[in-house]
Amino acid sequence: MNDQAIRLSGVSKAFSGHQAVADLSLSVPRGSAFGLLGPNGAGKTTTLRMILNVLGPDSGTIEILGRPAGQDTRDRIGYMPEERGLYPRMVVEEQLLFFAELKGVPRKEAARRLAPWLERLGLAPWRQRKLNELSKGMQQKAQFIATVLHEPDILILDEPLSGLDPVGVNVMRDVFVDLRRQGKTVVLSSHQMETVERLCDAIALIHRGRKVLDGPVSEVRSRHGKNTLVLSYEGDGAFLAGLPGVLKVNDFGRYVEIKMGEGADAQAILREAAARLRVSRFEVVEPSLHDIFVQQVTASGEAAA
Amino acid sequence: MKRLATIARREYLERVRSKAFLVSTFLGPVLVAGFMLAPSILMERQRGKALRIVVVDATGTLREGVEQELRQQKVAGEPRFTVLPAEGGDVETARRAARGAVVEGRLDGYLYLAPDALATSKAEYFGKNVSNVMDLRLVEQSAESALTQHRLAEEGLDGARVKAVTRKLDLRTVRLTASGEREDRGASFILALMLLTLLYMTVPMWGAAIMNGVIEEKSNRVVEVIVSSIPTSYLFAGKLLGVGGAGLTQVSVWVLTMAGFGAYGAAAAGGMPMPEVSPLLMASFIVFFLLGYFLYGALYAGVGSAVNTQQEAQSLAFPVMMPMVLGFVFFPAVLGSPDSPFSVTLSLIPFFTPMLMFLRITAVTPPMWQIALSVGLTLATVIGVTWAASRVYRVGILMYGKRPTFPEMLRWIRESGG
Repeated sequence: MNDQAIRLSGVSKAFSGHQAVADLSLSVPRGSAFGLLGPNGAGKTTTLRMILNVLGPDSGTIEILGRPAGQDTRDRIGYMPEERGLYPRMVVEEQLLFFAELKGVPRKEAARRLAPWLERLGLAPWRQRKLNELSKGMQQKAQFIATVLHEPDILILDEPLSGLDPVGVNVMRDVFVDLRRQGKTVVLSSHQMETVERLCDAIALIHRGRKVLDGPVSEVRSRHGKNTLVLSYEGDGAFLAGLPGVLKVNDFGRYVEIKMGEGADAQAILREAAARLRVSRFEVVEPSLHDIFVQQVTASGEAAA
Repeated sequence: MKRLATIARREYLERVRSKAFLVSTFLGPVLVAGFMLAPSILMERQRGKALRIVVVDATGTLREGVEQELRQQKVAGEPRFTVLPAEGGDVETARRAARGAVVEGRLDGYLYLAPDALATSKAEYFGKNVSNVMDLRLVEQSAESALTQHRLAEEGLDGARVKAVTRKLDLRTVRLTASGEREDRGASFILALMLLTLLYMTVPMWGAAIMNGVIEEKSNRVVEVIVSSIPTSYLFAGKLLGVGGAGLTQVSVWVLTMAGFGAYGAAAAGGMPMPEVSPLLMASFIVFFLLGYFLYGALYAGVGSAVNTQQEAQSLAFPVMMPMVLGFVFFPAVLGSPDSPFSVTLSLIPFFTPMLMFLRITAVTPPMWQIALSVGLTLATVIGVTWAASRVYRVGILMYGKRPTFPEMLRWIRESGG
């Protein structure tokens, strides 16, 4: 039994001269929550499309649940695109059955599975309504049912939280936790680092079609060291940027984030700050994925230049 | 294949359940029936109202002849004019009285023959309505005929005898077909024109329906979910078939209504001349609708996939429409001589076939081999066009941003192998 849900080996894809994905290798273990990170245009969507067998790679191999990507493997995947992917003027129930049928579930079977889902997500009263008569949150729920009704082993969610209001975010988070509990593999593609940081076990960061780094989130963060201070205070903190060992100060208003250079002494900075300000919070933290990302991308940009 | 059917089923139901479909499908036959009945109804309406007319004759010799001629003029079997006597003793009084009567609406018009009318061959008609060319022509004919008879009488010839000798020819037109002969006074021609107009309306209409469907799916990102489930070619083919099925349903309803109307309508219409609804005409209407639909529909789908909005689609859809517009330009030439080498050639060019071959079939019955050849050529073209369009489609639906140029789309056709 293969324990990898998705495995990409040396996958490349170019569109009329533009290298969208270059020599990309990834492994997503079964039952994990995996974050595919990268800025817009990094090659995330192309990678997802190859996993979904919408596009074929120019070179390299893609295996889904131990088999080469093809029609039967994609029946095992549920895909939720970044933007809403349902027919606005189609009746909810009809629509969900349609998408399940496209995944090879017989209509009767799909109808049998649909009823409990509609109940559970509170969509039952809306089943005969057209999608565009539903609120955004309801539409999101319908979209989600369309993604899971064929009971896939792998879920691929492209920017699942973008454009959601707080209620929608909560719905998605509950769903996410639920899927994890059922042992499904979830791949989450996003450029919102914070989302991924909170929800995923492991990540891969791609930039300009290449993998910049990957691994479990905790490992990635600790690998990049504890070089960040968070400080809350009252008073004029302008002098902080001039202290020895301080590379950069990001002022967030209520607190500042201080980047320290190699070998800087956090305690020395605290002493200096405490002497001149009323410090209400001081913390040495691991760098956020965002910081690591910016650092890596800048580094690879310099390397390329 | 089952999933292709799922796509086709959805497309079909979406179209067929729409209000626009129901309205046009069931209103279409009503309009058709209206067109078929219109000529007879128009005649019927004209029949009842004879024009009240007075002849004011200053020559003193022509009045009786003209009045008699006017009384004989008939439209749809009914006298067209009611000739009233002129009022007053002298010509001037009569003119003034007639003028007053026309203005007050007691009279529809009067004909004035000046004293020198016989010499100059000139007459004047004063009326409320001088735009009805048909009626004026009748007045003119009557005066002319009376004038001619008077001159002939002066030359010593019997007017009535001359009239009998020079009687106008009444041309009866009969359309000959394999199934026999049938009197036809233009009703069949009107029906053919109507069917052609329907073809011209429905093919682009259903083509545009596909295009808009494709654009909508693309802008909703529905297409991304679908092509992550099934091969793109299934979606393309399913769409083409589903929408085509809806189109076929519509034209079938129309054709059946027309056939029914042709069979039973004549009796209901009270012996009015009804156009011939031949099985060949109806069958070819459906066949050429389907050919036109698949030919242009595939192109429309390709165009729809390449753009992001319907506005963008307009400029790309224009070249797609061009052959159809051109076909319309050739319309009079083909109708004028449907069997000329020019017409035959045009009707065999696949992009014109759905319209022009159909037009030829309505005018004459072209040789079977020509029909078969045109259908064969068009089918081959449909296969080629569908293949190319599906390749544009497969790249286009996943492309957002700038609208591609035609050279770029050609590259998609060449390159979209994998």
